[in-house]
Amino acid sequence: MDAFNTLVANLGIGFGVAFTFQNLIYCFVGCLLGTLIGVLPGIGPIATIAMLLPATYALPPVAALIMLAGIYYGAQYGGSTTAILVNLPGESSSVVTMLDGYQMARKGRAGVALSTAALGSFIAGCVGTLILAAFAAPLAELAFKFGPAEYFSLMVLGLIGAVVLASGSLIKAIGMIILGLLLGLVGTDVNTGVSRFAFGIPELSDGIGFISVAMGVFGFAEIISNVDMKGARETFTNKITNLFPRWKDIKECLPAILRGTGIGSLLGILPGGGALLAAFASYTIEKKLAKNPDPPFGQGQIRGVAGPESANNAGAQTSFIPLLTLGIPPNAVMALMVGAMTIHNIQPGPQVMTSNPQLFWGMIASMWLGNLMLVILNLPLIGMWVQLLKVPYRILYPAILMFCCIGVFSVNNNSFDVLITVLFGVLGIVFLRFGCEAAPLLLGFILGPMMEENLRRAMLLSRGDPSVFLTRPLSLTMLLMALAMVVIISLPAISKKREETFQEEAG
Amino acid sequence: MAWTPARLSSIVLSLCAALACGSAAQAQTWPTKPVRFVVPYPPGGSLDQVARALADRMKDGLGQPVLVENRPGAGGNVGADFVAKSAPDGYTIVMGAVATHATNPALYPKMPYDAIRDFQPITLVASTPNVLIVPPESPLRSPRELIDFARKNPGRLNFGSGSNGSTGHLAGELMKQMTGTFIVHIPYAGGNPALLGLMAGQTDLMFDNYANAAAQIKAGKVRALAVTTARRVAFAPELPTMAESDPRLAGFDLDTWFGILAPAGIPKDALERLHGETVRALASPELKERLARMGAVAGGNTPAQFAEFIAREMTKYARIVKLSGAKVD
Repeated sequence: MDAFNTLVANLGIGFGVAFTFQNLIYCFVGCLLGTLIGVLPGIGPIATIAMLLPATYALPPVAALIMLAGIYYGAQYGGSTTAILVNLPGESSSVVTMLDGYQMARKGRAGVALSTAALGSFIAGCVGTLILAAFAAPLAELAFKFGPAEYFSLMVLGLIGAVVLASGSLIKAIGMIILGLLLGLVGTDVNTGVSRFAFGIPELSDGIGFISVAMGVFGFAEIISNVDMKGARETFTNKITNLFPRWKDIKECLPAILRGTGIGSLLGILPGGGALLAAFASYTIEKKLAKNPDPPFGQGQIRGVAGPESANNAGAQTSFIPLLTLGIPPNAVMALMVGAMTIHNIQPGPQVMTSNPQLFWGMIASMWLGNLMLVILNLPLIGMWVQLLKVPYRILYPAILMFCCIGVFSVNNNSFDVLITVLFGVLGIVFLRFGCEAAPLLLGFILGPMMEENLRRAMLLSRGDPSVFLTRPLSLTMLLMALAMVVIISLPAISKKREETFQEEAG
Repeated sequence: MAWTPARLSSIVLSLCAALACGSAAQAQTWPTKPVRFVVPYPPGGSLDQVARALADRMKDGLGQPVLVENRPGAGGNVGADFVAKSAPDGYTIVMGAVATHATNPALYPKMPYDAIRDFQPITLVASTPNVLIVPPESPLRSPRELIDFARKNPGRLNFGSGSNGSTGHLAGELMKQMTGTFIVHIPYAGGNPALLGLMAGQTDLMFDNYANAAAQIKAGKVRALAVTTARRVAFAPELPTMAESDPRLAGFDLDTWFGILAPAGIPKDALERLHGETVRALASPELKERLARMGAVAGGNTPAQFAEFIAREMTKYARIVKLSGAKVD
């Protein structure tokens, strides 16, 4: 009870700080800017925050951080918007949203998909904020329990689950995952410093950029193959149904939202890939839990949007935990936030909570406000985004391609990345022709290098003894879960069921 | 900013003026266009932050915008190479670092540029010491205890670092070399994951950049044993140097630094302006305070001194890298 009272008191301080007219305005401006820039394919929160950082120099520290946090959420949400509308993942975590979100848009339900994403994100954001406020310190300790062995086992579980992402042939899905793993090998090996498959090109020594691969295999490939199909080109604008979900939809996706929120809150704490894994784990679970979903997953199932969107937003909230409790940024966006803090004379670190309670709790309160602001901002915008689909293709397509190129270029300010994207665009067309899905490829591409890095680190630390993976309980549990998944996929009876669930498209 | 007719016409006028000036007058009026300030690392790091603060100050002195551009890749080599191959007119400068101008040339078998011949050093911006840190519960209380333990238990200890060939890695290798110990190197994908690994007890020690570890040291989440520089540092005078805490480490001297360089052969007036404005910006209270908070010592030496410094650093790291057998390719 005492803890509860302190929490309420602390949140009181926070809302006292955040709820000034001025801060609300900054929060709004941040969310708006973030959404607008996030909607441009390829330009993610990192580029946005880096660009707008100087604009916050003149603001008081709390206002500056509130605005930056707003940009972060806005950009994240904007990324989902393009994923749903034009099949372009702005960020790694929106790859999963795309699977069913874009299919919903093709069936004229873009508005419903967007508002479901907004609703799910908001609920997840509220829960995530509360968790952050109440359990930040113990959760940070929990993250410490997660060593290289645990990471490796988690990645194994993730990769085996990646098979579920595919809605077509199992063999092709496995092939795509492996191809993704191989692509992930390109670049300097973390453990030895040896450069692999870089062909002496300095730009390749840090590996192929995620944005380049994603924009290529999804954006470029999709557009080019659409242009190719002259007669049969889809026009999904004239069958737009309602913009907002009906009661039936809400009832259907609420459990998915809650589950997604839970998974996202938990996995978000892990630095590196937490939010992505959460989105994807949520999708896997929804697909497994659903009995005879109509429409099936991969063809515009609303739960396939609601779950992952909630998971990645909850993850985005709890990913602030390492930053706020330890002062160690888990990813590039958070590193920029630290930069912003130091510019405003705040030394991020374990003491922020006690030395700057106004700032700490103010920021937590503003996270909630940011989420609320996004819903208020985006629900009216949905109508406008959907109208965007009515833009004639001869204008829409070149525009998307141009923004893709700008986005890809802006990651490293290097035109080499644009060339790589074109290359992956060509590859993407080949995949489309052969009915190979790109989502498992992207997952393998992201998880592979992390898996390898952690495997080898775990082995280095254990001096070559592989039993560490089995003697650490968390790691063992995840490996057993992975094994169970393999059994389920390979058992003939169940695999027949798998085909039923996953292969309707082919039938 | 609104594109009012008045503003447009002023731009047109200034463009005409710039064209009319011609090359003869240009000598006095450098710079006549914005300066591109390449940061060879992604945004967010301490080097990037200092570059942005510096650019903000320099633009007032130069009377032209200084545009920070992040061009990361290959440990900074992509950005540094871009500047090395840019026109030597002073309009493209780079925030070089110990990596791009001292360790990479020693580590990479094939460098895209020559760190000495292709650059005109302008001035050192800052240097920060590395600190030897251990988890708070570690029984090792000094470099001497650590080395004694490592000698008795070869291969028992692990040291983390942000990457292969980072100054943290090389500091560890240098210590092992000087004391004949065997400590296993555990590379991480970045300084922060390495620091987290130490705090979580995966590794036993680490040489981290002081700026990066300062907050954790102050909060007691990690314990600092020594600084890696030749002399004690003003902001943490209680920390001994590696050399003074153990005779086996005599001469141990390593730090992380960064400074501004331009392509070789820039005009003399551009060099003078750039040097003057950088030094002036570094002397501003804002920059001074910011560097002090990072635990950095502000630079501001002459181009000649900086060139000499780079040459010394290259020799030093070439030796350490060779002894340690570390490499990146």
